[in-house]
Amino acid sequence: MPQIVFSALSFLRAPLQAQGVDCCESAMTVAEGMTPALLLRQLGLEREAVEAVFINGKAGDFETVLHDGDRLALLPPGTPGPHRVLLRIKKQEVPTS
Amino acid sequence: MAEKIYRVNMTTLTVSAEDVPAAWAALGGRALTSTIVAQEVKPDCHPLGQYNKLVFAPGMLTGTACANSGRLSAGGKSPLTGTIKESNAGGSASQCLARLNVKAIIIEGLPQKDCFYSLHVDTSGITIAEETELVGKGNYEVITAVRKRRGDKVGVLSIGPAGEMKMALANISVRDPEGNMRSHGRGGLGALMGSKKIKYISIDDAGAPGVAIAEPEKFKEASRVFAKCLLDHPVTGQGLKTYGTDILVNILHEAGGLPTQNFRTGRFDGHDKISGETMHDTIVERGGKPSHGCHAGCIIQCSQVYNDKKGKYLTTGFEYETIWGFGADCCIDDLDSIAEADHLMDDTGIDSIESAVTVSVAMEAGIIPFGDGKGMLNLLSEIGKGSHLGRLLGAGAAAVGKAYGLTRVPVVKGQGIPAYDPRSVKGIGITYATSTMGADHTAGYSTATNILKVGGFVDPLKKEGQVELSRNLQIATALIDSTGLCLFVAFAVLDKPEAFNAIVDMVNAKYGSSITGDDGIGLGKSILKLERGFNAAAGFTSVHDRLPEFFADEQCPPHNTTWDFTEKEIDSFWDF
Repeated sequence: MPQIVFSALSFLRAPLQAQGVDCCESAMTVAEGMTPALLLRQLGLEREAVEAVFINGKAGDFETVLHDGDRLALLPPGTPGPHRVLLRIKKQEVPTS
Repeated sequence: MAEKIYRVNMTTLTVSAEDVPAAWAALGGRALTSTIVAQEVKPDCHPLGQYNKLVFAPGMLTGTACANSGRLSAGGKSPLTGTIKESNAGGSASQCLARLNVKAIIIEGLPQKDCFYSLHVDTSGITIAEETELVGKGNYEVITAVRKRRGDKVGVLSIGPAGEMKMALANISVRDPEGNMRSHGRGGLGALMGSKKIKYISIDDAGAPGVAIAEPEKFKEASRVFAKCLLDHPVTGQGLKTYGTDILVNILHEAGGLPTQNFRTGRFDGHDKISGETMHDTIVERGGKPSHGCHAGCIIQCSQVYNDKKGKYLTTGFEYETIWGFGADCCIDDLDSIAEADHLMDDTGIDSIESAVTVSVAMEAGIIPFGDGKGMLNLLSEIGKGSHLGRLLGAGAAAVGKAYGLTRVPVVKGQGIPAYDPRSVKGIGITYATSTMGADHTAGYSTATNILKVGGFVDPLKKEGQVELSRNLQIATALIDSTGLCLFVAFAVLDKPEAFNAIVDMVNAKYGSSITGDDGIGLGKSILKLERGFNAAAGFTSVHDRLPEFFADEQCPPHNTTWDFTEKEIDSFWDF
């Protein structure tokens, strides 16, 4: 089964740590075909509790299938500054021309 | 009582109160300081000479009941960059000035006598007095002494020893409601105040007439809508209140954009030890305050009170950029050492970002090794003492790099690049390059939904859309900097169009005007053009809108991207 590097940030830490989940770059074994959306359900997190998922350092899709060696981080709402746009956490539309 | 412009002539030691010119009547904050500097300061003057001016102006909404509107703009020609400069800070001073109907204070000339002075502002105007007792003292002592002299509620603007020594990284400190400090940090305006020989300015608004509102009921309603937007938003309502801006350490680490070891990589092994999550837990454990406002009326409360291991106050306003700079960039994974540095910098009166980048460059030079927390504190002490090494460090990162023959010197227009690697967060790289004030993340910090919602999406690792994004952020920021609003209101403005509309409504209700959101955007554009015009007359060209070449030559792990914008692409920023 794939092993990923798992992180959860800020407000997500307390509920996960209460379940014994290590939230800082921990090794996590997941089932074949696991996606961030499925993992949220497995961890008992509401979809609204997570604003963005970072997969291998990039804001990604909740339905992406995770592979062995992937890095996953869960970000709750609360990222300050224009960084939500600059890092594509909020998929805000911006000019292209 | 009509608003007044106060002109303080330090050559003749006289003060005059002038009526506000019609062209300045609707301006405030950055719009006003930059307009005055552009009109009255010789662009090619020496920043520390007699022709430069130091201008303070409260924002358009400052002194009103509008939430988070207590910011003060300080302007002049920057001693660090040689460009125009506007620096924006919280604290009590701005609201006191606004309530006294002080539209702006323009400090000009140089004293003929070699001594320091203080200014006192109250309902009778401004008085100048010679100051001896507090010369050479740190900001904490100055603020405590001025409170004793003038009362507990007095607003204070002061410089520390670094400002007195006219160091290019000196800041101007502003007393907050609890007697601690905020800072006009970047650009060396503390050196400009030091050149005018002003140790501190005290502001007593007892008996002040208050801010006139043309349409009070409309203002009240718009103000209520605006406050609700801030309180209902997850960033302004909860995130910043809990973790402060330091929440960004783990986010930027994850995104591979946390500059580490003088911008060698985008991730720092010690990230979690200096993260907002760790800071929050440490503050709670030691009986500090995770939430704290920098001025009355702040409902975002992103500041905090950080205590040492014994539970004794150590610092406040402990920001992400400071923690990044001494943490990841200097490879120091000890939050207590960085908090101690923050306290020391507040007292000495130096900009925490420029100081951090300078220490990182000093590490690059081999003065001390990367990761040396004690060595870092010693270097900061040298700045306060004004030793020969301290004087060199006090001249900023670019000067240290030049003195040691380095090429890995992360500066633009002589100002240190802050906490976001431009190879991994390319939009902010455009802001560093094109900002009228040198590398400055806050130059592109705000958002205005009405100009943002067109076209496609940006990928932080790719060039497409980044120039336009940076342009829109910088235009909106210039506008917000003029209102007196904290830039953090932008988080709510990004998600809630009614928040932006409420800002426009409040401005209209205050002035009895009928401007639109587009007019506001037009003001933002005109401020940027005005500032660029000053810089052009001071000798700056598009050649200065460039990042150091190592960003193009070296990949930044983990994404292994480089800075790959062409000169033409960068220069297209100004096509508006």
